[in-house]
Amino acid sequence: MWPSEGVHQLSALPAGARGRIVRVKRDLTPRAERLAALGVGPGARITVLQTFPGIVIECDQTELALERVVGSAIWIALE
Amino acid sequence: MSCPHAIEGLTPKPLLRLRAHPLRIALVGNPNVGKSVIFGRLTGRYVTVSNYPGTTVAVTRGRATVGAEVCDIIDTPGVNMLEGALSEDEKVTRDLVASGNAELIVQVADARNLRRALMLTSQIAAFGRPTILVLNMIDEARARGVDIDTAGLAAELGIPVIEAVATEGRGLAELREALTEAAPLDGGIAAGVTHLQWADEMAHRFRTIGPMSLGRFQEWLGRAVREPLTGLPILILVLYLTYLAVGVLGAQTLVGLLEDGLFGTWLNPWARSLAAHIPIAFVRDFLVGDYGLVTMGMTYAIAIVLPVVSTFFLVFGILEDSGYIPRLAIFSDRIFRAMGLNGKAVLPMVLGLGCDTMATMTTRILATPKERLIAILLLALGVPCSAQLATIMGILGGVSFWALLTLFGVVVFQMILVGFLAARLLPGDRSDFIMELPPMRLPRLGNLATKTGLRVRWYLGEALPLFLVGTALLFALDRVGGLAVIAQATRPVVSGLLGLPPKAAEVFVMGFLRRDYGAAGMFLMARDGALTHVQAVVALTVMTLFVPCVANFLMIVKERGLRVGLAILGFVTVMAVGTGAVLNGVLRFFHVAF
Repeated sequence: MWPSEGVHQLSALPAGARGRIVRVKRDLTPRAERLAALGVGPGARITVLQTFPGIVIECDQTELALERVVGSAIWIALE
Repeated sequence: MSCPHAIEGLTPKPLLRLRAHPLRIALVGNPNVGKSVIFGRLTGRYVTVSNYPGTTVAVTRGRATVGAEVCDIIDTPGVNMLEGALSEDEKVTRDLVASGNAELIVQVADARNLRRALMLTSQIAAFGRPTILVLNMIDEARARGVDIDTAGLAAELGIPVIEAVATEGRGLAELREALTEAAPLDGGIAAGVTHLQWADEMAHRFRTIGPMSLGRFQEWLGRAVREPLTGLPILILVLYLTYLAVGVLGAQTLVGLLEDGLFGTWLNPWARSLAAHIPIAFVRDFLVGDYGLVTMGMTYAIAIVLPVVSTFFLVFGILEDSGYIPRLAIFSDRIFRAMGLNGKAVLPMVLGLGCDTMATMTTRILATPKERLIAILLLALGVPCSAQLATIMGILGGVSFWALLTLFGVVVFQMILVGFLAARLLPGDRSDFIMELPPMRLPRLGNLATKTGLRVRWYLGEALPLFLVGTALLFALDRVGGLAVIAQATRPVVSGLLGLPPKAAEVFVMGFLRRDYGAAGMFLMARDGALTHVQAVVALTVMTLFVPCVANFLMIVKERGLRVGLAILGFVTVMAVGTGAVLNGVLRFFHVAF
């Protein structure tokens, strides 16, 4: 688990939550790379718009749809 | 050096330069930023423009005159990055940029999204080519409160930065002028700084985000279509309206007008009376007989299929340009994941309803080879193209709602089953579902008219000759007794397994050429009362699952090779006949009459 207070996995956040990305978990897949290319990387501000049936976030004036697994690799510090 | 007194800004620009070939300019940028619109504006050539990422999946070239110089303009598929794990459409662009075939790069950016565009800019910089940055859709960005210090950014990067609204032609003159001033990017990024960090810093320095003044309705609609409570009713409404436009207006009203009216009352009798003057019976039959070029080929293509595809292309264009289709990915992601794909596959699948051949090419937007193979297979197996879809509705709509539901139920079930098995049997992985949702927009009438017109023309150019060739082939087969032989040879399958009249074999032969051609033949058989309701359902189910048409088959071979093409062809044929046989057995066993 990510140790610090107030940091959550994106997949655990409710609609309407806002925050800043603190970490994107890296693994053997090109997931983090693909997200970074869309501007979803540490430092970016996001808003959760929807959580069901898929996660939809707004990042940098753009709406992005993500599956849950992807959301759980992104750690957010709430604002 | 030769002219030390010249002030730098006044150095005459070389307008005419001797080159071995025209200057090659590539339009590069993130997906769905308007590269194809700018391409159209520069070259006067129209390439399909829509509101979803992945409309362009191959390179298009065109000529443009800039000043006194002729340039080659190259439109490329959108890319989010030029390094790392790329999908096939992204590789097309990366290879072009890397190969040196693009001497000048015009990076087109969505001004809303400066940060992401700059991330790409920093990757383009690595190739050291003269570059121009176009901030397109600057009007939408301003409406969202995004303000960019264009001059400051240009000075920092050392390249021309131009604001544009390409759909209205704004900024295009400035772009043409700036082409002579393009320069490689200054400095580039310092070692140890990632593209994202650099882009973050640049965006921070040159962009401010104020309050939004976006239209309330646009914002509401964008939310309503993606949330389940409102989104699903909207989906049903959209499907119903599509059915009304294509299934009722196209397949019933317009087909009636053209077939009974234009062809039935005027053209065919007129052609027959004209042909009566031809002394040779053979020629007469070739033109206006049972398998006549006019009475069958032209009637099928123009009276039965054309109205249907035209109305479909129009509705489809509206859906494409509105930004609605990508939002369906949110709802379908789970189902597609069970089939080894992800929600992104909704794009090629829905496009397949227009034309499976084009959709097969669009599978390039999928990230892994396994996903592409599964999508191509499912397109070939189950997704009916526009013409086929409407003939299905035309025939079964008249039978009963349950007949229609049975067919679609069986086809969807087979697709899910095949997808489910393919996901487990084929080697490889699926990729993550990460998809950008374009903003909802009101379709522009000009683009809609151009796009629909070009697609109808494409249909006529592509389908009409094949319909005529097919008719000539049927005529020849009929003359040499080939049709009787085929009917006899396939009797055990067609009549035995599927329980259809032997004449249905002819329709399947036609279906090999084009599925809509076969479907049109079935349309007439059903209307003439040659098929019972159960037979109609079985025949149409088999036709829907049946072999891809010649064009689609060739596209599969082109994209995936002959072996895969033949394997899909064989598999799909067996699957179609097998499903039809089981369906026939079940329906008869339970005495279903519809």
